[in-house]
Amino acid sequence: MHSPMPSLQPCPKRASDDIVRTAVRMGTFVTIHVVGPAAAHKSEAHSPMLREEAVEGAFAWFDRVEECCTRFDSGSEVMRLAAQAGVPVPVSTLLYQAVQFALAVAEESGGAFDPTVGHAMETRGFNREYRSGRQIRSALDRGAPVSYRDVRLDPERKTITLLRPLVIDLGAVAKGLAVDLAARELSPFENFAINAGGDLYLGGRNPDSEPWSIGIRHPRSDADLIEAVRVSNRAVCTSGDYEKRSADGGHHILDPRTGASANGVASVTVIAPTAMLADALATAAFVLGPAEGIQLFDRLGVNGLIFSVPSFSTDCVAPDLPVLTRYATQAMHEYL
Amino acid sequence: MDKSTLLLLAIVLAVFGTSVAAGRPSWGIFTGIAIILLAAGLAAGALPMRSDDYFDERAGAGQRISKSLVTLSSTAIVAIYAAGYHRTNAAAHKFDSQSEQGRTVAEATPAPPPTPENPPAPAEPLGSLSSSTPAVKKNVRKPAAANPKSGSASTEPGESPASASETGANPAAKAAASVQTSYKDGLFLGWGSCRHGDIEASVQIQDGKIVTAAITQCLTRYSCSWISPRVPSPVLPDLPREVVERQSAKVDYVSGATESSYAFADAITAALSKASE
Repeated sequence: MHSPMPSLQPCPKRASDDIVRTAVRMGTFVTIHVVGPAAAHKSEAHSPMLREEAVEGAFAWFDRVEECCTRFDSGSEVMRLAAQAGVPVPVSTLLYQAVQFALAVAEESGGAFDPTVGHAMETRGFNREYRSGRQIRSALDRGAPVSYRDVRLDPERKTITLLRPLVIDLGAVAKGLAVDLAARELSPFENFAINAGGDLYLGGRNPDSEPWSIGIRHPRSDADLIEAVRVSNRAVCTSGDYEKRSADGGHHILDPRTGASANGVASVTVIAPTAMLADALATAAFVLGPAEGIQLFDRLGVNGLIFSVPSFSTDCVAPDLPVLTRYATQAMHEYL
Repeated sequence: MDKSTLLLLAIVLAVFGTSVAAGRPSWGIFTGIAIILLAAGLAAGALPMRSDDYFDERAGAGQRISKSLVTLSSTAIVAIYAAGYHRTNAAAHKFDSQSEQGRTVAEATPAPPPTPENPPAPAEPLGSLSSSTPAVKKNVRKPAAANPKSGSASTEPGESPASASETGANPAAKAAASVQTSYKDGLFLGWGSCRHGDIEASVQIQDGKIVTAAITQCLTRYSCSWISPRVPSPVLPDLPREVVERQSAKVDYVSGATESSYAFADAITAALSKASE
């Protein structure tokens, strides 16, 4: 219904009421889609202008999160924090909550997800500064191993103390967080979608008044979908081994516990109440592997799919698509 | 006051209140009840503070953590949303963030020991920061009309008084300021490619910072609207629909990054390398 070819779309009326905006944020394309009011049962309060304003406000959250959490600007809050190891640093609510959440995931995943070893590994797409291509390498003592246990939070004074010089990498949290904040900005509207480079939050229903239908990219073929899920008021995030962005062209996801390549997982998709959680858990499951990853999802009450490859063909993009093994959480069938 | 102290006080008061109420039948009952109510109030004040603290709760049973993680992400978003304000006006937002950075630099200044020993010093950087703010504002307008070369020339005089006066007070602040102005002002173009074709991106730089990044040309096998399916956008050129339609005919959106978005990142990288030459 948003296709440029109206002839294929029998209901152009709905499309004209929808607001769809795409912009570049956080190194990727962000699309915000607010479904127009469904004729009768929507109040006039949601005028097109109000909706436009809300969409603007939603985009603004992406800017704010990026400003705060980027490792690629020495003036960002997270980098100013990195420059002050050993002392309690008062931080903004945004940074405090983001770090607290990242540490909680680290704890929960037994260190499989660790925001403090981020500068040594390439976990998610666009780890190079997407705007300059520079490799960000801080002048830290790279010999000393650090972990999430080297970060202390003071919940009363809202300070963060880095026990050792380290850089907190919120890469696997920040984009999801921005999506969630944007979703909250759009909460006056029943039906909307936010797509930040394949990390999504789907509010309500799609323009056909059905749950949103989300395709999951095939990890071995950019042009195909491996699965499709139906969701409403949920975030869907996918992390794949095809996200090869490290400068040396090597495998992009390392196990923070061993420093070795995390093999065996081709892609992880998580369906969770928030994108921040989905994004972080997808990264964690990548390291944990299919069996432990699914266990983690079940324990947390989120759902997910993991596609794994036989270890011998992990780095091989063969002309024939390798056979992928599919793992799913117990309640995953609810979304299929 | 510490939370555990509050709780302890509440318990002591409750016990004391009960004994008063039991011991003195005539006036003691009312006094006792009043003391118990006070204790309850204290306890109520102390307990919610505890639930805020994820890491205290964590000390409990393993299963409770799991629920907290889902809740924690939601409460984090509520907290950030409540704390944050947002501006629909992008210019105001940008201006605000710049002066905010300025302020934090100023706050950081008293931290090193030399500054408090030298009373006139803190006043000077604060003054220069606020006076440099209008200069920054002026520069925002200039590069939009001027060509890249003259734009970068006009930026430097605006920046230098600020960093010069900061030099005496805090070398770290000066270093931070110089990092942010490493790009030449202007509009820069770059190409990136993936298996499906090429993407040209543009980057607009003002005052050494990136203000916009966009796709200017898209020569991929598939339309760029792929990256965000079914989206008509002024940023993405309206290319003829390619023969190969993704299976997305049936889906609203696709989860998982695409090759095209990497190509875009490469294009931006190329554009920015020109800006930093």
